[in-house]
Amino acid sequence: MEIFGQLAGGFATALQPINMLMLFVAIVLGLVIGVLPGLGGTSGVAILLPISLFIKNGALPGSNEVTAIIFLAGIYWGALFGGVITSILFNIPGEPWAVVLLFDGFPLAKKLRRPGLALASSFVSSFVGALVATVLFTFFALPVAERALQFGPAELFAVFVLSFATLIGLGAEAPMKSVAMLALGLLLAAVGFDTITGEQRLNFGLVSLLSGIGFVPVTIGLFGIGEILASAEEQGIGYVEQISARLGLRDVREAFVELGKRIRLVLSNSIIGFFFGVLPGHGATAASFLGYGLARQYSKNKENFGKGEISGIMGPQSAADAAGVASLVPMITLGIPGSPTSAVMMAGLFIWGLTPGPVLFIQHQDFVWGLIASIYLGHLMTFILCLLAVPLLAMIMRVISIIGSYSLNNSMLDVFITVIFGLIGYWLRKLKYPLAPLVVALVLGDSTERELRKALIAGHGSPLYFFNSPLSTILMLGALVLVLIPLVRTIRARRRGAVARPAGVAH
Amino acid sequence: MRPYQVATAAAIALIAAVAMFDSLAAFNPSAGTAPGDVGARWYPFWAAAIMGIAALVVAFRVLTTPQAVEGVFAGRASIFSVLKLAIPMFAYATLIGGIRWRDGDINYTVIPPLGFYIATGLYMGGFAWWLGRYKIWWVAMILVAFPLVIFAAFELGFRVSLPKSFLYEQGALPF
Repeated sequence: MEIFGQLAGGFATALQPINMLMLFVAIVLGLVIGVLPGLGGTSGVAILLPISLFIKNGALPGSNEVTAIIFLAGIYWGALFGGVITSILFNIPGEPWAVVLLFDGFPLAKKLRRPGLALASSFVSSFVGALVATVLFTFFALPVAERALQFGPAELFAVFVLSFATLIGLGAEAPMKSVAMLALGLLLAAVGFDTITGEQRLNFGLVSLLSGIGFVPVTIGLFGIGEILASAEEQGIGYVEQISARLGLRDVREAFVELGKRIRLVLSNSIIGFFFGVLPGHGATAASFLGYGLARQYSKNKENFGKGEISGIMGPQSAADAAGVASLVPMITLGIPGSPTSAVMMAGLFIWGLTPGPVLFIQHQDFVWGLIASIYLGHLMTFILCLLAVPLLAMIMRVISIIGSYSLNNSMLDVFITVIFGLIGYWLRKLKYPLAPLVVALVLGDSTERELRKALIAGHGSPLYFFNSPLSTILMLGALVLVLIPLVRTIRARRRGAVARPAGVAH
Repeated sequence: MRPYQVATAAAIALIAAVAMFDSLAAFNPSAGTAPGDVGARWYPFWAAAIMGIAALVVAFRVLTTPQAVEGVFAGRASIFSVLKLAIPMFAYATLIGGIRWRDGDINYTVIPPLGFYIATGLYMGGFAWWLGRYKIWWVAMILVAFPLVIFAAFELGFRVSLPKSFLYEQGALPF
């Protein structure tokens, strides 16, 4: 009961006019930042960190440290929602966790010509995911954070292996092509400095490759430019026109109906996303990929995935948003940032003279509960703003994306990487190589390697270390089963003699 | 389709071989420092090995199973459509950084760097004129307005620095 009283106090703080105003401003800024490819929630929060100091010091009448944290968190919520808009409308992920929306969000928007429904589905499921996570945050923040810290490298590595296995086992294309693309992604992620020893790898003497190959230029190339080239070939140059999004009430109503049909998936993915988000250093991106895998595994319409299936949007989106909220849990409760964005926010807390951790809960109750209340209010506000402002954001995005968002990074190499991967993506698409495993492996590659090597060091080089704890054993066995699915499928098909020669083929 | 599939799988296997060669130090006895540490090269070596094996299996399956008769491209027109987009894109990327190198004390410049803004203006204007068949004043407006809007939004608003032109180096333009 005490929690309800504290939460009510939090709402009283968050609902003060100055806090609501700053929340609104921050969300609008966050949405714009999320829409711009290459500028994500982390950079947005970092850019505006100095402003938060002014806010904390009372630059605005009535503003204090609660206003400042609400401002920073609002940017994050806005960016969480904004990142999906570019994925769905332009096939360019604004944020790493929105990469997964390229698989079904963009096809629903473009091929099925329902951009409004794709966006509304994503917003609705984001909102539910965030809401579930916030409720869990309110009631279970401290015990969950303590439990998550017991996740060792073996368990984390097993989680990554499971994500990769999902892509191989449940992919629509030839499994060996998925394996090749996955390994290519892992290899590209390894280019540059080794994060553990600082050694140079796979840069072939090129200084510009030392910082590695970022997922942004590769993804924009593979999905953005590759798709443009493929469309140009299929439908002529004129088709390179972008989709405009008109989000009507009909789309929103339909999205709610579709949500009703998938409420079990969305709720379970939100809970899984929350626990993922609490794991320090991981969070929304891994959760979104796992959410997609789960949505696909438990769907009756597996063949529709990749073609604009709404479960392929709602599943990952609810998990990602829940993880986004949950990544604040270890930061606030234990002083360990759960994501790069929460690390920047933690820097803010230090600048304002606050120390995150268990003591914060006791000494600055108004701050913590004001923040928790603002998560509820912030998501409600973001949801409404998204529904109202999407056409405007889509317009901003169109200007940016047409010009070639691929040079947002400060390196000329990125420009060439984008163009080259555009051609590679176009070619691989033609030869039916799946691109999703490549991108997923590129995004998660560094963390996978780090956890693998940490686990090997902890186990003195023994691979049996991965089977030391029941959790990692279960995850590893699950991954093995998933990888074996295509093999079992082939053997079964052969036994039935179903490998009949298709029409129009030659030897 | 079969020759293209085999060639692509062979290219992937070749990339894997190059990466494995670069990572041969994985087998250096002093690879890792701590007990159980596999060193920096071990992971890329095995990632490349898995990639190479997978590519070889793909090539083997393509050679031993029936393949679709039709080619990769629908026809000459479709190749032309793709090249019409791909070549200007390469040209655009090249114009941003220019082509120049330094040999001892002498600088050689084939194409001066036009930077992101001027190259973008030319690229957009060129597309609007050539493919969009826009009227000449619209082309002129796109050519000037796009770089300016992007400059205001990124350079001034978000303080994201993008590549600048040789005119910036000479102090003649702010970008």
